Amino acid sequence: MFEPKIVAFFCNWCTYTAADLAGVSRMKYSPNVRIIRVMCSGRIDPELIVKAFEKGADGVIIGGCHPGDCHYQNGNHKTLRRYKLLKGLVEQFDIEWERLRLEWISASEGEKVQRVSNEFTEQIRVLGPIQMKGGRVVHG
Amino acid sequence: MGEIIELKGKGVPKVGVYICHCGFNIASKVRVDEVVDFAATLPNVVVARSNKYTCSDPGQEVIRKDIKEMGLDRVVVASCTPLLHEHTFRKTVETGGLNPFLFHMVNIREDVSWVTDDGDRATEKAKALVAAGVRRVLYQKPLEKRRAAIKSDVLIIGGGIGGITAALDIADSGKKVTLVEREPTIGGVMAKFDKTFPTLDCAACILTPKMTAVASHPNIKLLTFSEVKDVSGYIGDFRASIVKKPRRVIESKCTGCGECANVCPVYMPNAFDENLGMRKATYKPFAQAVPNVHTIEKTGTSPCTYTCPAGINAHGYVALASAGKYDEAFNLILESTPLVATLGRACYAPCEEECTRGELEGTVRIRRLKRFIADRYYENHPEPEYGPPDKELDKKVAIVGSGPAGLTAAYFLRKMGYQVTIFEKEPRPGGMLRVGIPEYRLPNDVLDRDIKNVLALGVGIQTYTEVKSLDDLRKKGFDAIFLATGTHGVRKMDIEGENLSGVVNCMEFLTSINYGKKTDLTGKTILVVGGGNAALDSARAALRLGARKVTIQYRRSRAEMPAFPEEIDAAEKEGITISYLTTPVKFEGEGGKLKYVQSVQMQLGEPDDTGRRKPIPIPGSESIANIDMAIIAIGLMPTTSPWAEQLNLNRDGTIQVDPETLQTSLPHVFAGGDVVLGPSIIVNAIGQGRRAAHYIDKYLKGEDLKATTFVFRSADMVSKHDVLTRSIITHAMSLPKKELPVDERITNFKEVEIALTEEEALKDTKRCLNCSVCSDCHLCKTICSAEAIDYGMKEEVIDVEAGVIIVTTGFKPFDPKRISAYGYGRFPNVYTSLEVERLVNSSGPTQGEVILRDGRKPERIGIIHCVGSRDKEYNQYCSKVCCMYSLKLAHLLKERTGADIYNFYIDMRTPGKGYEEFYHKLLEEGVHFVRGRVGEVTDWAVTAKEEGKLIIRVEDTLLGMVRRIPVDMVVLSVALEPQKDADDVRRLLNLSCSSEGFFLERHPKLAPVATFTDGIYIAGACQGPKDIPETVAQASAAAAQALSLVDRGYVELEPNTAYINSELCSGCHVCIAICPYGAITYNSEKKVAESNEVLCKGCGSCVAACPSGAIDQHLFENEQIINELEGVLSYV
Ligand code: FES
Repeated sequence: MFEPKIVAFFCNWCTYTAADLAGVSRMKYSPNVRIIRVMCSGRIDPELIVKAFEKGADGVIIGGCHPGDCHYQNGNHKTLRRYKLLKGLVEQFDIEWERLRLEWISASEGEKVQRVSNEFTEQIRVLGPIQMKGGRVVHG
Repeated sequence: MGEIIELKGKGVPKVGVYICHCGFNIASKVRVDEVVDFAATLPNVVVARSNKYTCSDPGQEVIRKDIKEMGLDRVVVASCTPLLHEHTFRKTVETGGLNPFLFHMVNIREDVSWVTDDGDRATEKAKALVAAGVRRVLYQKPLEKRRAAIKSDVLIIGGGIGGITAALDIADSGKKVTLVEREPTIGGVMAKFDKTFPTLDCAACILTPKMTAVASHPNIKLLTFSEVKDVSGYIGDFRASIVKKPRRVIESKCTGCGECANVCPVYMPNAFDENLGMRKATYKPFAQAVPNVHTIEKTGTSPCTYTCPAGINAHGYVALASAGKYDEAFNLILESTPLVATLGRACYAPCEEECTRGELEGTVRIRRLKRFIADRYYENHPEPEYGPPDKELDKKVAIVGSGPAGLTAAYFLRKMGYQVTIFEKEPRPGGMLRVGIPEYRLPNDVLDRDIKNVLALGVGIQTYTEVKSLDDLRKKGFDAIFLATGTHGVRKMDIEGENLSGVVNCMEFLTSINYGKKTDLTGKTILVVGGGNAALDSARAALRLGARKVTIQYRRSRAEMPAFPEEIDAAEKEGITISYLTTPVKFEGEGGKLKYVQSVQMQLGEPDDTGRRKPIPIPGSESIANIDMAIIAIGLMPTTSPWAEQLNLNRDGTIQVDPETLQTSLPHVFAGGDVVLGPSIIVNAIGQGRRAAHYIDKYLKGEDLKATTFVFRSADMVSKHDVLTRSIITHAMSLPKKELPVDERITNFKEVEIALTEEEALKDTKRCLNCSVCSDCHLCKTICSAEAIDYGMKEEVIDVEAGVIIVTTGFKPFDPKRISAYGYGRFPNVYTSLEVERLVNSSGPTQGEVILRDGRKPERIGIIHCVGSRDKEYNQYCSKVCCMYSLKLAHLLKERTGADIYNFYIDMRTPGKGYEEFYHKLLEEGVHFVRGRVGEVTDWAVTAKEEGKLIIRVEDTLLGMVRRIPVDMVVLSVALEPQKDADDVRRLLNLSCSSEGFFLERHPKLAPVATFTDGIYIAGACQGPKDIPETVAQASAAAAQALSLVDRGYVELEPNTAYINSELCSGCHVCIAICPYGAITYNSEKKVAESNEVLCKGCGSCVAACPSGAIDQHLFENEQIINELEGVLSYV
């Protein structure tokens, strides 16, 4: 079975805390999802997304606080705007935009971390390994 | 060591890796030794070890030793979440002699072992994360922690026992506290209790001394009736905007004597007593409230008052009358109009149309109450109680016309001190009130007494004087003129025979009657033409003069008829025929005297420019009838032609004015009432009279008329929906009409409407819903000797700076209406536990006597536990305090009533000092305990014994049978829920909430009062259900934490700020716009952006936004993250 590699950029304040809650509550979810903590979802540089795919990720999740709840006033609004651009950007590399997912997960939503991780892993499993422009199989 | 990575110019850093077993927490899933072996192969790793508990002292010591002995340059610890121990290990590394930021923590517990089923995959994931950590740490740089000063003041939100405790703890240490409470008093829910469990201490006796201590503490600034609306800033430097709602009582002046509440006529359900008792609109929630001051509750302007075009405070006089203060009520009306009794009779009462009670059983009879008030006052006061004003001004004002507009303007201008003269062309003053309204609606002596209210001020009046030339008045020395001559002309029909004798116009007809010229119409047939009030009045007057048959012809249908429906009904009742869609086309006579009328039927066509459908004659529908007299009442119009040269007039003859100021085209001439509006209603004319007086005064003072606008209303209208849903509304039938029987009235001009008796009037005033709560009757202001009442008080915004915030906003009780099977709200004798707290409280609505809503005393009482708790439908959690407070209430109810008490419980939960003992005491007292969740409460009796009782149906799980237990009273032990607006507070303060909505603590075990937002602490029931001792303990804990921060004087901030590489910066400004903290500025000399590390909070948004890649973030550099990625994606 294809085991996709998934990177999750989670903001420190809501989503990373939610992942901690999922852990404390012993909610099992797909080990394919690997979390990188940043302070705010607004920190997610387009370069990081491109690099993630380039280095072999089959899917990327961006997790931030719900709209209005960002620890830094409105970092997640910027993320939302950037997300639209990012989808276009990854498509330029012939990567299906569905491989990039944005989720608002609050500190109390440990269960949502579990659900999103499992759902996304399955979705990427269906999409299969990534193929980059020029037919170059990067990995898989 | 595997691969070796050399950093540019920094050599080859040596890395030590430490993998933690965390007892079994990690080791049960992750094969730690395998990870250690793997780590040893990673680039630059010189040592990899495992430890049972890395965070333990020996665990930390190993790291310190390795740093020293092996010369480590970087350290990676793979254990639990960095949110728990990053701090610990940074310290370890630092004390070991390394910069603490050359350390990275990898989470293989919350992110791996606890969330992964499979050991192989867990181990694989742990390896990847460790690889990521090792790669990342290589690129980390030494950093300095930043320090920020902490303001020493503390802000506490919520003034219950938690907030009070924290405030006193902090204030006693010498620090300043601002305590904000949204209710008028502090004390919270505890203040409602009679006794506390399990000691049965008197709640007030232990709470109120603390409350007063807060009020008198020099270090506490208490803001009650206030809410925090905005919070900005960060730990050490918060700024809060606090809105102090207008209490309408000046706190510093109020002595709490309570005279204001004594005189206040408005009763409201007392929310502090859970609406079981009543309080006044001016109130103090309870006797020992802190601060010891009153509050006037006002929610806007009542619909009646708001609607009145004359700005008369209808709610106010109804409220005063309800308290039997009839003279005060009269004087309140007199503040807005001199024509009190006239309005009490002839006003068409727009207020009643808006009355909220009208949405229920029918409007409060506001107009008739006004008549009652006026009649009663005039009976005792044949003359006004006042004379000319104290202050005399020398400016002179001429008022032309003595109708409602003219009289009102004269009244107000004279009260201001102006020399006022009224010019009236008729023999007696009153205008349309005198000549247009027959005596059966408005007796002449009543009008005369009203006019005395004007004349007593020393207003001059010249009757028989028609003003033709405005210049003449000016020459006579009048500085301003107000034209209010009404509409006394009647439009002509322009049909054949209109000049025959016997054809009259309604104004001539009504005027002659009102001046006592009672033409005998016995046996005559009368036709009235028109559909307005003047037509109706003419017809009814003709009938009273003996006419045999009176017919009204109106050319449209009833729907378009401008007369007021009540008048039409009355006319029909008196036997007047109204022929709709009919109009005369020709009058015929014999010897110059009217004999016949030829009429035609009409049908309604397209709407005309007034929006009404235009009547069109139906050809061939003509008919002829015999008549003796025709009264033409097809439209009233002003008679302004003499002034046509001097003023701008409209086509219909009305005077053109500025609608706001009522000034005409001549600056010194103002006009108002019907002469401006066209035929209208009395209150409109009065409103215009008031408006004119206001602007004439400004004009005479030489002020700019346009500088302000004139409004009667002090506040927006309250929403009727809010009134109808706000609390218990008692049903009350409306008063029927009371009139002379038809045959007793149609032969004379006696007043048709019969006055209300005092009893009826009082009863009707009690139906008033007091929509705006305070009625603006002003009694309290009159009585308050401290001059503490300020009706105009405005919302005040107070800015507070604080280093630390403590949130103690408490809980809200569960609304048991949500469980309909328990019948709360349907059965009066079903109570919530909080209601019973008030019922057994000696200072409660019944002074502690347990009397049911139906007046009985209960002999059997059922207490249902867990209402809204431990139930997936509502709240899954246990509310923790209900078992104990149910036991307390059982004890108190038994003590007060001697009743048989049943407790229905699922499990008894009594952990706590003395709690289990209390339970046993209750068992010994003979209270019954039935184990089982109650299915329903019903009033459906199946045996005689159950008749009139509430029946509790429950499955007794100990007996294994369903039981029906009849009781007189049911007490619902309701759950504790998060406050309704907890989510707003969460957003305001950037807190997190648990899924139930309680505020989330930083760590459930180790940081129970801290939050994820540094510098903000929580305590008490806002964090989850808890009892008083626990709340107090948490409050003290929060206070201690706040003090420890404040005492240190500074906080250490993460050095994760953004920095700009000026060589790469293109000066595009994108980052400047994106930074929410204004931390980036543009250096126009160097043409680059510069960041201010002090203001930067470290979100990193600018890094992501910079198109040139010129910005990076310490601790989260792109290079570091990309290397972390590399590791994360390396599968082994
Ligand atoms: S802090 Fe979570 S999205 Fe900004």
